[in-house]
Amino acid sequence: MLIKSATKPVSVNPLKVGQPLGGVLALQGMYRSMPLLHGAQGCSAFSKALLTRHFREPIAVQTSALQEMDVIFDADRNLEEALDHIWSKHHPDVIGVISTALTEVAGVDFQSRVKAFKRERALKDSLLFSVSLPDFHGSLETGYSSTVESLMDAVLGLAGGKSPKKQRRTQVNLLPASYLTAGDVMEIKDIIASFGLEVITLPDISTSLSGHLLTGFSPLTRGGTPLDSACQMLESSCTIAIGASMERPARRLTHAAGIPYHLFAGLSGLAASDAFIHFLQKISREPAPVRFRWQRENLLDSMLDAHFYYSGASAVVALEPDHMLSTAAWLEEMGVELKRLITPCSTPALQKTEREVWIGDLDDAEESAQGVDLWISNSHGRKGAARAGASFVPAGLPVYDELGAHTSVSVGYRGTMEWVNKVGNVLLAERGRGG
Amino acid sequence: MEPAVSNGRLEVSCGNKIPKSTPCPRPVPGEASGGCSFDGAQITLIPIADAAHLVHGPIACLGNSWESRGSLSSGPELSAYGFTTDLGEQDIIFGSEQKLHESIRYIVSRFAPPAVFVYTTCVTALTGEDIEGVCKAESERLGTPIIPVNSPGFVGSKNLGTRLAGDVLFQHIIGSTEPEQTTSHDINLIGEYNIAGEMWHIERLMQQAGMSILSRITGDGRFREVGWAHRAKANMVVCSRALLGLAVQMERKYGIPYFEGSFYGAKETSYSLRQMAYLTGDRDVERRVDKLAAREEMRLSLELEPYRKQLKGKRAVLYTGGVKSWSVITALQELGIKVVGVGTNKSTAEDVSRIADRIGDDAEYIPEGGARQILKTVRSRKADMVIAGGRNMYMALKEQIPFVDINQERHKAYAGYDGLLSLAKQLVHTLQHPVWELTAKLAPWEEETEFAD
Ligand code: SF4
Repeated sequence: MLIKSATKPVSVNPLKVGQPLGGVLALQGMYRSMPLLHGAQGCSAFSKALLTRHFREPIAVQTSALQEMDVIFDADRNLEEALDHIWSKHHPDVIGVISTALTEVAGVDFQSRVKAFKRERALKDSLLFSVSLPDFHGSLETGYSSTVESLMDAVLGLAGGKSPKKQRRTQVNLLPASYLTAGDVMEIKDIIASFGLEVITLPDISTSLSGHLLTGFSPLTRGGTPLDSACQMLESSCTIAIGASMERPARRLTHAAGIPYHLFAGLSGLAASDAFIHFLQKISREPAPVRFRWQRENLLDSMLDAHFYYSGASAVVALEPDHMLSTAAWLEEMGVELKRLITPCSTPALQKTEREVWIGDLDDAEESAQGVDLWISNSHGRKGAARAGASFVPAGLPVYDELGAHTSVSVGYRGTMEWVNKVGNVLLAERGRGG
Repeated sequence: MEPAVSNGRLEVSCGNKIPKSTPCPRPVPGEASGGCSFDGAQITLIPIADAAHLVHGPIACLGNSWESRGSLSSGPELSAYGFTTDLGEQDIIFGSEQKLHESIRYIVSRFAPPAVFVYTTCVTALTGEDIEGVCKAESERLGTPIIPVNSPGFVGSKNLGTRLAGDVLFQHIIGSTEPEQTTSHDINLIGEYNIAGEMWHIERLMQQAGMSILSRITGDGRFREVGWAHRAKANMVVCSRALLGLAVQMERKYGIPYFEGSFYGAKETSYSLRQMAYLTGDRDVERRVDKLAAREEMRLSLELEPYRKQLKGKRAVLYTGGVKSWSVITALQELGIKVVGVGTNKSTAEDVSRIADRIGDDAEYIPEGGARQILKTVRSRKADMVIAGGRNMYMALKEQIPFVDINQERHKAYAGYDGLLSLAKQLVHTLQHPVWELTAKLAPWEEETEFAD
């Protein structure tokens, strides 16, 4: 492991977003839920606007709308008012109270206020939980995984926290990382199901943010994991966590209900897909369906077709930690030289990797991108890539200048093939221009 | 609209009071929408394209918001850079003034901007950092204006932030530089952000009539240029209640008359150009504007003809918030569209009365409630489309209601004569798009299952 960071005092063209954004994203994957940001109203307005722009879908989020005097006197009065309002008006199944830098710095004890509210209202069939997500730590990924962890705890609390009465051998849990798109989650569920397994996904943005046509406006989420399915996770035979950031939530289930977990750092690339299919074959005791034989061969053939354009190519990759690692893995299979890997914050998984990783911003990407062929980052990187003369491929969040980013698939043989071709086309076009 | 003059002599501009900062109603926890004051300040100042904009606080304020507006620059791109001190826990515990000092120095030495704007945010306001002191010290040390923008999110709404940004312009910038030359036909545009390049359309029209823009406040603006705004003959406040105060202050201090106007719709455009010309006091310019307006209106009405036919009698719900409502209503009415519902959530009493002048009691006023209320109005008034900001776009699409984006995030220019034509085309193409019919139908196999049941 080698982690570097630039020495400048200021972040220039940040790659990082606030942790609460990750929390809001996670809660979009719960059915009839409402994330409530405890802070001033701008934080929720920005989160809503950013996620709406990326997913091109309505986003559920509310705020305790603190103003200066509220912070000084009693910020939690606002919180209670907000909870009260949301509860009595919309009766959500899930409310996640998410702190912001402001409430963290003000040092308000919102967690106990949330607990008190829960007690007083005797909320039984719904879930109210809180999570501390100051902006001055972490980024999107950590905000998302911490929220899933707290959500998991709350689910375990609701389900009694006891070991389940029965275990279903053919039922598994899936905990997808924050970077997986709605299309990715759908694809992973599909792959698992094709082995005759039933899968409960938490959170599941594939049924809330992939593009539904439900009419009748609701401020709550319109899809995602229903609460009772979440409670049934305790009966599963194992948990599949995708992305190192999902290891901690997976461990909660192990501790509480003895459910073993299996961690996959990512599912992009041949090796990662092979490992996943192999694993599913083992736990399901079913042979891999024949379509994976085809898909694997198709992928390999695509890789052969594309390798002309990839060979000798170099790239700068600036993404959230798990996403960056997973992307680096498949790019390496295609023989791409990784000029610089950049990520907004440090995580335990990064401490363990053997790669050289920069904790930094898009300006650090730009600095290293001179003469590089590819630049992969969220849409904010487009201008820097153009200045550096690198071909730009949007990935991560936000992607707002391309359609379908939120449903594109990068996992499994098929998803890898999609990306091998997509990035290959960019390299091919560059070659056409004499680049 | 109120005349800006009486007795042929300039006495008062429209309204001689600074719009009072009506204590904004407290947002309802659990049912609030809209951005914070930091957002409003940022929207107003970031279009100053050659300046650096540094956000002092933890990551969320800048990280979640940069590059989200459609303000275009014809040259420098520095304001499109996102700069933030990105405070970590240690910075907050031990204080971040030193970091701010270093950040400013770094930006100035690397990018050599004409100025740096430093934005306070909730956290740095709460911890009581002496941001003004830091800015002052660094201005002196570096010889570059370092301008504090004290508009942290928790002081209030986006509009308040815009107003505070107006104060910053007035106190720190306007009057700080001198133009190389002036003419007697110099106008400032205030509150025009050059969304999708709208200002360039307007500028072309002004040039054709022999007028020029002295300072762009702030769309496609330059720092030095804003500094010499006090040398203009007149100010036009373009669709911005929140920056009206700036025009009033400039009138008091520099005697520059102002008027409020809009460039949405041919009528408003001609009116605004005439008003400008009048304030230059040059008969020749006035005559040129008259000719220009007559010619453009004539051309436009010919070109609009086919679109008007298709739009006639169509019903729209408009939800833009604030001042833009009344000016967009005029534009829509010129196209033959009936406005059957209008959002007044961010409008002042004066805005509402202007809306009423235009649509009377025929329409539903939507004071609050956002998406849900918009939909209700669409249903009850049988509207054909929703014209609103991006925030409500997907809500409308889910209900399969044709939607046209009118706010800051859009990519189409609707200002001026040509802008009205673009708007007409956009509306027609949107309404006639085949997708509405396709989404309205079930799949054939779904229908069959229904029968089987
Ligand atoms: S409300 Fe405060 S913390 Fe949130 S984005 Fe606005 S300024 Fe930043």
